[in-house]
Amino acid sequence: MVELDTNRMAERRRTVAQALDGLFDPGTIAVVGASRTRGKLGQAVLALLKSNGYRGRIIPVNPSGGEIEGLEAVRSLEEIDGPIDVVVLATPVGVALDALENCTRLDVKVVVGVTSGFSEAGEDGQENELRLRRIMQNAPFRLVGPNCEGVVRPASDLQLTFSPMFNDLRPGPVAIISQSGALAGLMALRLGERGVGINAIVSSGNETDLTAADLLDYLGNDPQTRVVLCYVEELRDGRRFVEVARQLAKAGKHVVAVKGGRSRAGSRAVQSHTGAMAGDDRVISAVFRETGVIRARESVAAVDAVTALAAGRRPAGNRVGIISVTGGLGVEMTDLAESAGFEVPVLAEATQTALSRYVPFYGSVSNPVDLTGVVLANPTYVGRCLEAVADDPGVDIAIAIITFVPDQQFIEALAEAFDSTGKPILIVWTGAARSNASGEALRERAVPVYDSPARAASGLAALAATTGEVS
Amino acid sequence: MTPRETLESWHRAGRKVVHEADAKDLLQRIGIPVPKRNPAEGRCVAKLCHDDYPHKSDHGLVRLGLSPEEAKRATTEMAQRFPGGTTLIEEMEDGSVAEWIIGCKRDDTFGPIVLAGPGGILVELIDTAEIRLAPAKPQTAESMVRSGPGARMLAGLRGAEPADRGGLADLISRISVFFAENADLISEIEINPVMVRADGKGLVAADALIVLSPNADEQES
Repeated sequence: MVELDTNRMAERRRTVAQALDGLFDPGTIAVVGASRTRGKLGQAVLALLKSNGYRGRIIPVNPSGGEIEGLEAVRSLEEIDGPIDVVVLATPVGVALDALENCTRLDVKVVVGVTSGFSEAGEDGQENELRLRRIMQNAPFRLVGPNCEGVVRPASDLQLTFSPMFNDLRPGPVAIISQSGALAGLMALRLGERGVGINAIVSSGNETDLTAADLLDYLGNDPQTRVVLCYVEELRDGRRFVEVARQLAKAGKHVVAVKGGRSRAGSRAVQSHTGAMAGDDRVISAVFRETGVIRARESVAAVDAVTALAAGRRPAGNRVGIISVTGGLGVEMTDLAESAGFEVPVLAEATQTALSRYVPFYGSVSNPVDLTGVVLANPTYVGRCLEAVADDPGVDIAIAIITFVPDQQFIEALAEAFDSTGKPILIVWTGAARSNASGEALRERAVPVYDSPARAASGLAALAATTGEVS
Repeated sequence: MTPRETLESWHRAGRKVVHEADAKDLLQRIGIPVPKRNPAEGRCVAKLCHDDYPHKSDHGLVRLGLSPEEAKRATTEMAQRFPGGTTLIEEMEDGSVAEWIIGCKRDDTFGPIVLAGPGGILVELIDTAEIRLAPAKPQTAESMVRSGPGARMLAGLRGAEPADRGGLADLISRISVFFAENADLISEIEINPVMVRADGKGLVAADALIVLSPNADEQES
């Protein structure tokens, strides 16, 4: 009898795609642990869900019932009529496990476990972990987490998290999968500041059920996604993760990954040279390279890489053309590009002739091009010069360096230059106005904008990695 | 017995490290060239192979440049010192232009992988080996002998003859396929060194080691 039951459960178990379709565009969300008390997880989840404009049905679940955040609360999940797309668990662990058990008897697509206190708590969490695994064995729904920060999808106004780090993100081409919620927050906020749009963010937590590889497969294959940014500490199904990444690279998408955590090498006796030579970190770098995963050494470098890749352009080679409104920044950019293995070649004669119409005699029309401050007086000049450099057959990537922005036309001219070419263009904008309205024309187009030559060089390196062959 | 059945029988017998003589027998059966055994003339290598002593030279169990007669006497003496071993007398390879290491192991994160790089004493150089997922397709194996710092050695440094890179790539691909198919039974295979001759002249596995996977009951603990 028990066996029969198990089979029936397995049959009605949601596929990853069914569960995630429900997760990213939910009609009904139940928040277990919804509370009126500030500081409680469930209160924060409910408040953020509402304040970010989610338009579906939100059902607070709280044993005392009543009204919470202006919404009618139910006392338990069983009181909810009909299917529930997403159940969020934001209570202490004991209550969360009881609710999870209830979900096995209800029509739930996916559960997001914000609650902590499982395997990550070591011995103290062992009993909870065992109970969690027992429930999940026969569960018809799928689980994100537990011990995660939640899920965000700007296009659905969906903010299923207790963290305000994900506020005000714009929809766009980047998906983030992170085993650390805090790092997801850091990377999302930085991308948001640069105007890079987000398709979805999942903090995958302990990955008891849905893993980084499941999420990569689903989010990477979403037509809205151009780049997937991953922060991983332990890849549970690493082989599948890289096989999925390989397919995505072949389909013209990019996977950028930060692999955190120290190597566990040395815990076992090494009987051969192979064991010593193929330490964890070397294997990760080699296998990532083989399968087209761009490895970033830390989270901000990963954001630099994603910023460069989000526009969806690939360079044909490693020749960089640089224009700058100031000599010094042009020189620094050139040094950094060259030391990263790029060429900064002399521009074609035709390009130099075109540039000399705009550049005064005390500037320079070779490479880097020093436009001098004169261009600030005529806002369209900088755009024309960028077009000329991007047009040069000897240039694969163009970089424009600007300081402050004299007026709106200046930025629009840069945006037009971006539209005039299919080559990758990076903007280094050192002034303070990057995040205000003046940059909107660039943000709309996902033009990569950096605040310093060093960060732009970090983006360049990611562009270079996309030219490698993935077998 | 198929190569897999041989592995299974070793596993059943509780072997952990399979010594060179047995490892080479198996490699030969999957198409990897090994030195000629018990030659009647020429210079020989004399070894005593024993599962418990994989690092033979630490125990004086390798002697080079002997005549066939000297080699027989040497192995008799070694066998007296280390009972239970298998004696091995082979033709000494002296036509190689490069010594390479080829290894396969199961990585905790990605499963079977294959590694290739400068072998012999050069294994002590750090970060010279190329690593790929196993099984490595022929074109992947080809990329392993044409990238990284080792590639320049194989191409011939300062006018030296280029090594047989095609033969080496074939060996890498072959052993990675065998390893990946049997990774449940083997945790590591290592050939170190492979003596690679000049282009078109082939190569030979001068030393080899197979580490078997622990039995299920040992893995539990």
